Amino acid sequence: MRLAILGAGPGGYVAAIKAAQLGAQVSVIEDTEVGGTCLNRGCIPTKTLLATTELLHKTKNIEEYGLEISGQIIPNLSKIMERKNKVVSIQVKGIRSLFKSWGINLIEGKGMILGPEKIEVKKKDGSTEIVGADKIIIATGSRPAQLPLFPFDGEHILSSDEALSIKSIPKSLIIIGAGVIGCEFAFIFSELGTDITILEIMPRAISLEDPEISEILERELKKKKIKLMTGIKITEAKGQHDGIHVYIEGGKELVAEKLLVSVGRAFNSDAIGLEAVGVQKGTKGDIVVNENLETNIGGIYAIGDVTGRLLYAHVASTQGKIAAKNVMGGNEKMDYGVVPYAIFTSPEIAAVGLKENQAIEKGIKVKTGHFQFRAIGKAHIMGEITGFVKFVSDETSDRILGVHIIGPHASDLIHEAAVAIKAGLKTKDIADTIHSHPTLSEAMMEAAEDVHGEAIHVPKK
Amino acid sequence: MNPEDLKYHKEHTWVKVSGKKATIGITNYAQGALGDIVYIDLPELDSTVEANSEIGEIESTKATSSIISPVSGRVIEVNEELTESPEIINEDPYGKGWIAILEIADVFEMDDLMDASEYEKYVEEEKK
Repeated sequence: MRLAILGAGPGGYVAAIKAAQLGAQVSVIEDTEVGGTCLNRGCIPTKTLLATTELLHKTKNIEEYGLEISGQIIPNLSKIMERKNKVVSIQVKGIRSLFKSWGINLIEGKGMILGPEKIEVKKKDGSTEIVGADKIIIATGSRPAQLPLFPFDGEHILSSDEALSIKSIPKSLIIIGAGVIGCEFAFIFSELGTDITILEIMPRAISLEDPEISEILERELKKKKIKLMTGIKITEAKGQHDGIHVYIEGGKELVAEKLLVSVGRAFNSDAIGLEAVGVQKGTKGDIVVNENLETNIGGIYAIGDVTGRLLYAHVASTQGKIAAKNVMGGNEKMDYGVVPYAIFTSPEIAAVGLKENQAIEKGIKVKTGHFQFRAIGKAHIMGEITGFVKFVSDETSDRILGVHIIGPHASDLIHEAAVAIKAGLKTKDIADTIHSHPTLSEAMMEAAEDVHGEAIHVPKK
Repeated sequence: MNPEDLKYHKEHTWVKVSGKKATIGITNYAQGALGDIVYIDLPELDSTVEANSEIGEIESTKATSSIISPVSGRVIEVNEELTESPEIINEDPYGKGWIAILEIADVFEMDDLMDASEYEKYVEEEKK
């Protein structure tokens, strides 16, 4: 089996390794760097910056921990970026060496599908190579979506890609979009001293999340003096000598040094030859696939962001493993039912399963349980007491439908809930499981107990 | 104890009326029950608030709690000092720990509130 994969992001590289493990002869075509958006322009670099700014935040409050500093702590952006680049390059090397060990052929250049079994690669040195393949997996990913009114110029108007390689800390920054990316960047830059205003068209920040979580996050933005304006329509943005001027419907004008546009992602499905072979695309430029992740053209599969489902690295990787198995004769289906995810704001947000309103819309009788981190010792030990755990369960069966967390280490805690939902467990199962003390996981147990009004560290209602 | 010249709401807020202005805050009992206050989300200046509705939030080291307005009106002043030092509420709930000043919409709403001795009895009941 000769398999060619277009794109070496968290979808493509995982598919490559899985297929190689199953005995395929794999070629991967990548025109930038292995690791894709996640590793080079997304998850890994942003979280590396966040590690720095979280440490900076702690040092600003260092006296609370009984420590004194003589002197100042000054963020040095070029050193911060250096560390970020180092973390990225370690991961990049890791993938490259995995490829080597599995005998995967990495071809660096831009790939174009010429036919169901033929890909042309324009290499960086100008030469062209034709790659023959029995099957193809398209894993070309996505890029920051651009708004026609404010095209990225790399100077005043930045995409998230460009924000990750700025040379100096902006004094002021306007962020369009209070979604995941906008909010994550807001917390990072705010800690570095940037004056931030977020403009959002929806009525609340991270509007796809549980409203109770948005409420806490909005308060945390306020605590950091990050201005959030919701229900805002922008009419124009103009770069001038003193920065970028943003005009809001109703006549208000805002000025900042830079503008970050984070309004979603666009799919990389153009100029890769889909039309030549007749691969069907959706209305947003996403590639349409069936449950087996195969496109309408037999033998051509698509995975990751470009399939337009859930734009997470871990979904792409799961799709990658499934597509690889199917390429090798399997018949595995992709299940999007239990997908945990995290938002790396301060504090973190994480969720899995149904939201309360989604469950109600499905006609399910819902019971919820809440528990605040500030009621457990570990949160006070860490000095991170904001947030809560919320359980959503089926009132009739007591099965856990969804869990939503905002608080310290939410991104790690959520996986207990993911396993529980996947296994069809009840809130009782979590409540009756001993959780060790003192840990943040006690909040999971207590929130599960609270579904039945049985939490210990909650005053009588 | 609870000052005689104030009126009290069952959600443990107080109001002091002077002409058309009403200063509001949380009671001594409320601050004691909350414990160390670490953050207050103040009402928005110039916003209109309804009696019995939430106008802000208080976070302490052990709980978060809504601030319920005892009266209706327009917010004409907020105690900005609390943003940096919310612990003032613990120290002086009826004085320096005031939260906001409203321009009263309806003076008759005062009649729905408790006086100091009624509030004291109410708190005693709550404690049971």
